[in-house]
Amino acid sequence: MDHFNLIVFLGLLLLGYVAGRIAESRHYRSIRQREAELGDVLVFASRFPPDFRVRPQTLVGGSVVVGEDYFKSIVAALQKLVGGRLKSYETLLDRARREAVLRMKEEARQKGASMVVNVKFQTFSIPGRNPNSLRAVEVLAYGTALGPAMPRG
Amino acid sequence: MSLPPEYANPPLPEGINVTRTHPLADFARLLGGVAVVVVAVVGVSAVAAAHLARFVPFSAEAAAVQRFERVFPEAGGGPVEPWLRDLTARIAAASRLPSGMTVTVHYVQEPTVNAFATLGGHVVMYAGLLEKLESENAVAMVLAHEVAHVKLRHPASTLGRGLVLGLALTLVSTATGSDMVGNVLGPAGLLTVLSFSRRQEREADEAAAGALATLYGHTGGAPDLFRAIEVQRTGGSPPAFLSTHPLDAERIAAVESLARARGWPTTGATRPVPPDVRAAVRRATERAAPGVVD
Repeated sequence: MDHFNLIVFLGLLLLGYVAGRIAESRHYRSIRQREAELGDVLVFASRFPPDFRVRPQTLVGGSVVVGEDYFKSIVAALQKLVGGRLKSYETLLDRARREAVLRMKEEARQKGASMVVNVKFQTFSIPGRNPNSLRAVEVLAYGTALGPAMPRG
Repeated sequence: MSLPPEYANPPLPEGINVTRTHPLADFARLLGGVAVVVVAVVGVSAVAAAHLARFVPFSAEAAAVQRFERVFPEAGGGPVEPWLRDLTARIAAASRLPSGMTVTVHYVQEPTVNAFATLGGHVVMYAGLLEKLESENAVAMVLAHEVAHVKLRHPASTLGRGLVLGLALTLVSTATGSDMVGNVLGPAGLLTVLSFSRRQEREADEAAAGALATLYGHTGGAPDLFRAIEVQRTGGSPPAFLSTHPLDAERIAAVESLARARGWPTTGATRPVPPDVRAAVRRATERAAPGVVD
């Protein structure tokens, strides 16, 4: 009985590590592939369009909710004791940001836009301030999609 | 559509937002570092607490546990308890307890093969262990062993160590915010909290052998106790480092070498347990369900 908790702990740790690694490498492969496919939808932080021709504008956004795996949570819990970079969360948030931009670009392409300006990010902690709840974060990317310039006339 | 040159999305290099460390290497480094610090701090504090607890006056310890005394069984009548009390009084005198330190023996009519000493000088003897012992000398060895725990303040030391470990566990669990840390470390820590250490057992054995030599002029009967316990253990003895008590053969050898060093005879005439006491003990253990020696 004493070892039961230890076995459960090690099992969860192993599950978290293996599943987390597989999911991460698959996700990164998919991200790189779709970033190449959507390379012609341009994104800019600038509030201003490249020229002042009249274009249809629409709000587009992409949202991702990302949660930690058990292995990452344990590494982060240990890191919390000594401080420093929470390295185990870095890839998680990198993936979330890039995925959010990709989803935003997909929406922009569906709407016939070729660029998104004024792109901003927002994050929201899903459990809020309750530390015992699920630990996940939403990353939202949004911006103004610009359609093709209207013919002058 | 031609765009000004600053309106371009050049491909970004991969991995600019992540630290290139293998997660397992990161985990191992953190776990190793934290474990070294935690073990060092907790270990030093636990040893210090165990050491300092001996300086708590015995009267304070006895007063603190007074309200828990009802957990001990009341004297149920019969010949066993008066006989144990008388024997314990003689052992306490032979053990040269410090003034103000009292030992109270309690007899439990259960077949568990066990005896233990706890806070406030309370010693509990189970019928199951008494039933295995044929000579008064062997019973005296058990009682002297438990009296030695009391004299050496082992229950207080163990409590001090346990409090530090419990506090450390709470702190680590709170600091990491992970219940699992406590769940994993908890039972492991509890094992060391609840029992005397092997060193304490060896000290108690040595003091008990001394009391036996003072009382009877020889340490004969002590090996009977260890042999009785050894027969009791079924399925083989665990390796020494896993057990809080030294192995029985080791304990016999330790007592014998101590007796040789001190010039105590290791054999001599032993007194039998009085027949009325043996009969009463046998009645109490008729529903046999063997337990473990502590």
